[in-house]
Amino acid sequence: MPFFIHILFVISNWIPSMLSHNVIFGKGKIFHFGPMGVAIISSYGIVITLKSTGSFALAFLVGLVCALLISAVFAWLSVKLEPDALGVITLAMHIAILNIAINWTSLTRGALGIPGVPRLSFFSSNTTLSITMAVVAVLWIIFMLYLDRSSFGRQISALAEHEWYAKSIGISKIKINLIAFFIYALGMTIVAFFSMQYLTILHPNDFMFPAFIFYITCELAGKPGSVLGVTLAIVLLTILKEGLRFMPIPTGLTGPLELIIFGVILFVAVWWRRDSVFPNTRSV
Amino acid sequence: MQLIFNALIAGSLAALIAGGLSLVYGTLGVFNMALGQMVLFGGYITWFLHIQMEIPLLMSICGGALFGALLAWFTFEVFVNPFYKRHRFLPLVTTIALSMILDGLILIIFKSSPKGILQGLKNSVEIFGAIISTEQIALIAFTILILCSFAYVLHSTSIGRKIRAVVQHPQAAMSLGIRSPQLHRLIFISSGVLASFGGIFIGIDQNLSPVLGFPITIKAYAAIIAGGRGHFWGAIICAYLIALIEQLVVGIPLLPGGNYIPAGYQHSVALFFIIVFLIFKPTGLFCSRLRTA
Repeated sequence: MPFFIHILFVISNWIPSMLSHNVIFGKGKIFHFGPMGVAIISSYGIVITLKSTGSFALAFLVGLVCALLISAVFAWLSVKLEPDALGVITLAMHIAILNIAINWTSLTRGALGIPGVPRLSFFSSNTTLSITMAVVAVLWIIFMLYLDRSSFGRQISALAEHEWYAKSIGISKIKINLIAFFIYALGMTIVAFFSMQYLTILHPNDFMFPAFIFYITCELAGKPGSVLGVTLAIVLLTILKEGLRFMPIPTGLTGPLELIIFGVILFVAVWWRRDSVFPNTRSV
Repeated sequence: MQLIFNALIAGSLAALIAGGLSLVYGTLGVFNMALGQMVLFGGYITWFLHIQMEIPLLMSICGGALFGALLAWFTFEVFVNPFYKRHRFLPLVTTIALSMILDGLILIIFKSSPKGILQGLKNSVEIFGAIISTEQIALIAFTILILCSFAYVLHSTSIGRKIRAVVQHPQAAMSLGIRSPQLHRLIFISSGVLASFGGIFIGIDQNLSPVLGFPITIKAYAAIIAGGRGHFWGAIICAYLIALIEQLVVGIPLLPGGNYIPAGYQHSVALFFIIVFLIFKPTGLFCSRLRTA
């Protein structure tokens, strides 16, 4: 039962951030490879505020503002740079932000992380926290499905398919990109708010490169842009990821094997969807 | 002076890697995100041959470079070639997958402890008041030699003219009978060899560690983007510029009260500098324009 509760939390916790990133990368074909950069800033904003003030509402607000600010920078870069250059530069920002989080020891305690993150009294047990997170995840899926069919969903698809034509019919790229990045900032802040209370420790190792790879793997395996497909991929791949811990393999090999397995899955997913990940532009 | 020499050492490593990659980007239009891991593999194989198998250093270096060529060939055939003609962004993702696989393999085969190709104390000399080891002088000289050879091949040989033609206008080059696919393969393998030399460079000058792979990739591409994508000399100049910024940031008292920026922020400051620079000049320092009729 505790493992089921844990799996339920982990799956639900991935959903808001990953589905929001799917709007940017999967639907909008915007190479935002720095989602972990937003996660770091939002998580540290929440935990530092929470530890210093004790106010959960203020902590969430600070985390959200931090995430929105860095997302605005990412959105601006997405308009300015070529797609592949954006991919590399957002990854560079991820590294730079992580580097600051590790080195600013007076504020973040560096590689030691920040332990003892308080929990809301309502979340006294992991079961309550997991069920609440699951409800939030379901609501987020509904929101994403609505967004997918909304005017915004059509506009971001149009920009991804043919930017010039989309602009010629009055679609503003900066506006659409800002909305997409802000949705991700909100999703990430919700995730950070719950996960910090679940783990009760904030550690920089949780924001390394493999976490971002898991995003991309789920989005490509589940079909880029598809809300339900990506949700299904999150469920299956999280079960696989967590299930690896029970395989009879030496402890030191678990991490490297996980990297290899998910690398292979990502490659197979791209191979399988090689015609649909970046479809050719339609022309008359 | 010491800062300039440090920048020259770090810049030579970055230039070695970024130069080959710039050609790959110019001709194929793809980013190889497994580059850092290819760099490390070149270094680790040399370490294995020299330290574990006790093969002489020069032969071990040749072994490392040969393995780099084979790895680059395998990467091209499996992770790049089947994808880049469908969409040039697909290899960006497939090579991310490869980087994970190689990362896992490095951790399993070579473990996470740092590995140095040359063990023991290094001989140092003083030049213009700066302390520099003989190995570092050799590495800088080797990089300059490699870059000069590249310059000669690019600008004074038939194959160089073909490469420049493909970089400038691939369709026009193909219509003149230049066999682009073979050229693409050759350039990709050359970039793999240069990357493995980069790994050997790290293994000789410092220590090889699995955590280095990803930052190497990002810094090399930051140099390529800042230099103007596909611009060979732009990438080289920016590789040295980034290294110089990294050294100056921590070597000059920039903070109030004559305090220094802590060394841990070295890489962040350089990357932020590139990001800010690109916001104002998204095409890079040396923008190359496509010639059209």
